Amino acid sequence: MKRQRIRSSIREYSRLVIICSILILGTTGCWNRRELPDLAIVVGVGLDKVEDEEVTDKLELTAQIVKTSEMKSGNKGGGNSEAYWNAKNTGNSIFATIRGFTHQASRKLYWPHNQVIIFGRDLAKKGIQEYLDFFVRDQETRLGVWILVADDKASEILEVRPSLEKTPAISLDHLLEAQVATSQTSAIKLNEFVNRLLSKTTAPIAAMVKISSQGSEKSLLVTGTAVFKADKLIGELNITETLGLLWIINEVKSGIIDVECPESNGKVSLEIIRAKSKVTPEIIENKVHFKVEIEEESNIGSQSCSDNLEHLDAIEKLEEAQIAAIESEVRAALSKAKRLNADVFGFGDILHQKLPSEWKEMESMWDEVFPTIEVEVSVDTNVRRSGSSRKAVGQKEE
Amino acid sequence: MISFIINKLRYLKLLNANYVEEQRKQRAFQSKKSENSLQKLSQSLKQNLEAIKNQIGNNYDVIIREFCLADQIEVALIYLSGMTDHITINENIIKPLMLYSGLPHYNKPFEITQIKSSILSVGEVKQYRSFDEIIEGCLSGNSILLVNGCDEALSIVTADWKSRGIEEPKTESVVRGPRQGFNESLVANTTLIRRIIKSPDLKVEAMKLGKKTNTNVCIAYLHGVANPLLIEEIKRRINRIKTDSILESGYVEQFIEDAPFSIFSTIANSEKPDSTAAKILEGRAAILVDGTPFALTVPMVFIESFQSSEDYYSRPYFASLIRIIRFLAFFLSIIAPASYVALTTFHQELIPTPLLFSMASAQEGVPFPAVMEASMMGVIFEILREAGVRLPRPVGQAVSIVGALVIGESAVTAGLIGAPMVIVVALTAVASFVVPAQTDSGGIMRIIFVILAGFMGIYGIVIGLLGLFIHLASLRSFGTPYLSPIAPLSISDLKDSVIRVPLWSMLTRPRTIGWQDPERQEFRLKPSPPSEEIKEAE
Repeated sequence: MKRQRIRSSIREYSRLVIICSILILGTTGCWNRRELPDLAIVVGVGLDKVEDEEVTDKLELTAQIVKTSEMKSGNKGGGNSEAYWNAKNTGNSIFATIRGFTHQASRKLYWPHNQVIIFGRDLAKKGIQEYLDFFVRDQETRLGVWILVADDKASEILEVRPSLEKTPAISLDHLLEAQVATSQTSAIKLNEFVNRLLSKTTAPIAAMVKISSQGSEKSLLVTGTAVFKADKLIGELNITETLGLLWIINEVKSGIIDVECPESNGKVSLEIIRAKSKVTPEIIENKVHFKVEIEEESNIGSQSCSDNLEHLDAIEKLEEAQIAAIESEVRAALSKAKRLNADVFGFGDILHQKLPSEWKEMESMWDEVFPTIEVEVSVDTNVRRSGSSRKAVGQKEE
Repeated sequence: MISFIINKLRYLKLLNANYVEEQRKQRAFQSKKSENSLQKLSQSLKQNLEAIKNQIGNNYDVIIREFCLADQIEVALIYLSGMTDHITINENIIKPLMLYSGLPHYNKPFEITQIKSSILSVGEVKQYRSFDEIIEGCLSGNSILLVNGCDEALSIVTADWKSRGIEEPKTESVVRGPRQGFNESLVANTTLIRRIIKSPDLKVEAMKLGKKTNTNVCIAYLHGVANPLLIEEIKRRINRIKTDSILESGYVEQFIEDAPFSIFSTIANSEKPDSTAAKILEGRAAILVDGTPFALTVPMVFIESFQSSEDYYSRPYFASLIRIIRFLAFFLSIIAPASYVALTTFHQELIPTPLLFSMASAQEGVPFPAVMEASMMGVIFEILREAGVRLPRPVGQAVSIVGALVIGESAVTAGLIGAPMVIVVALTAVASFVVPAQTDSGGIMRIIFVILAGFMGIYGIVIGLLGLFIHLASLRSFGTPYLSPIAPLSISDLKDSVIRVPLWSMLTRPRTIGWQDPERQEFRLKPSPPSEEIKEAE
């Protein structure tokens, strides 16, 4: 009796184990198994409008794929062949276009390591929402990818062979990472871009990239800010305006401010070491006021005049000059934004958060309100240190 | 498949039934045998010698020396040459017997106890009546003295044979700490322990195991510290062993362990007297087996594998760092190849971009999938290791050089295997030796994890780890949870787990093991400069 019972329980148990292991194996299987040599790693993608009117396809997509065989560190012939391949395909929708690569590329396109999405100027003017959708929706693409707008065609940007990095896309990634040192472009990632796109009033922004040619040598230049209204490109901010924009949205991490020497001719370069800004809305006599308070600290980076900056008076004068410089940058950004009627600063959202009841009245007519808002800018700066030397090089003892 | 398993199980059942039957027979046989063996010695020396010769007489090494006690009484000395001390036999047994002149008058019956008490100048002498006891004594190196007219024999302990000296153990070398290791002689081994623990509480209980080998086995423990139930259980399990031979402590281990189907050993072993003594002092029991330098200690917990005697001899900071590194290395050694396989075949998005490029370029043109590569390299490494261990040292070196060259260099340049895989396997191999106690279980787990990762990626590794932890948590070693003091958690025992706190703050013995007498030392032993009060008092 007992033996039989044990036997049947063992039979049940082993059956259970086998079923469980089959289920566990079956839940994943090897369906997304792929070896490294089967991958075409995409590092950058450029989207352009098809210029030829007769072609029904409207999108030209350039995918920059890394040639892993050329990536080898010990590759001796590395001087001649490129380490990337720009695959091009056209199509009506972005997903169809990407699938179309199956006929061109011997390997499956692999998206998680994509670094940049570059939109051609023409395409950006027409609206980019329908193309962004894929990059947000697909499970292989990532939200931490840089969004760039090309000065002309995106595919041309991806053709510029960088002198230091192996592929243009990687080079762009490094360039944008380095932008914090100068704060001259608003490097923005896909998730932030989409956040701005989702907001009812805030205008999306993106970094601009152009090709600068010095003789036959071509290189990439990331500078300025592209301004969108909804999903359409409507204008650009130059370097000064970009810096003003970054001051207001509290994105300045570092940068250089040049001011006149207090006593003689020449310039003093101040390096921003810390910056903070705060925007508070107010409604005075039915007009929307914004108060922008900027606190900044800097060090003296270099001086081209022979002034003695060692005493407090000189420092105070430097600070005043710095305040004026920052204010003018902020004013420039404000006036440009008002002219474009694009709320790049996110003022609408701030108003929404701080004064929700007033916002409700204004919400529908923000486009009319925005150009008329008054902004009060107050800047507080401190010059902290003068570096390793206290006097200008060559300055005589007094 | 199922029917195959069931058939196997049926077969096992059958075996079991047979076993019960056999046991019954054996018991009957044994009782008959014991009747035989309890055969008493007779009064006549001739008859006794005849009987002994029948059993062991025709052996090359058995020496039977017949002579007369003080020219009057015939006696015979039987001993094994090579297992006995000749000087003792000549000087302390034969000489005094031959030269003895204090014999009583003939009318008085001669007592064998007289020889024991007043003639033999040897330390240990036993008196036996049965042949079995005599022969067993003789075979373990005693000299047997038979006296004509007595139905008793003396078994004089003269055992002494050549054994390996006390050397530095090969398996557990230390930088700081005693360098002596156990050798093959049980007496020497128990002595080594007793020389460390000079306490009357140290009990060394002896048993004999193996019907043919008659191996001496000792259980050493601290009376009052070790749990008496533990000692009882060890004895019960050891007494269960009915086998013909015990050749090494591994034999005992496999007969008494808790989880014979687990890849994890639930009995620790050591070649070092100091670490064995330390374990005895914690409340564990040591099982020493004659003929092997490896002493077993029970109960064993998992983190014991990560402890080394040196941890306690060096200062706590570096010891703690090394402990952490051992844990890291252990997890690395079981997870690293599997993670590599999982990352390169399923989760390439988790690899940092520049690293992915270099890995992809190294993998370019490699014909095998990563899981194949990892398994192949794993097997090749095990082959190399095994060849290196078994071969004589000079040849072994040649093997490892050839292996390293072929696998490390040529396989990569030939494009058969990617360079990162070689790095991962090499790292794993080195890491697996950091925790010697878990090297064999680690090797098995490594293979399992690589297969799981090849099938299911990181999901598979997580399933494997879950299974591993569930299994570890379910194990017990002589009643002690294998994962203690981590699960079940015992805060005070964590002082000697991943980190090792200073000795003066380790106040108690491990709670799950030494709870009988938890106090290891007194409070406030932290060294410090003399306080003001003491100075003033002086």
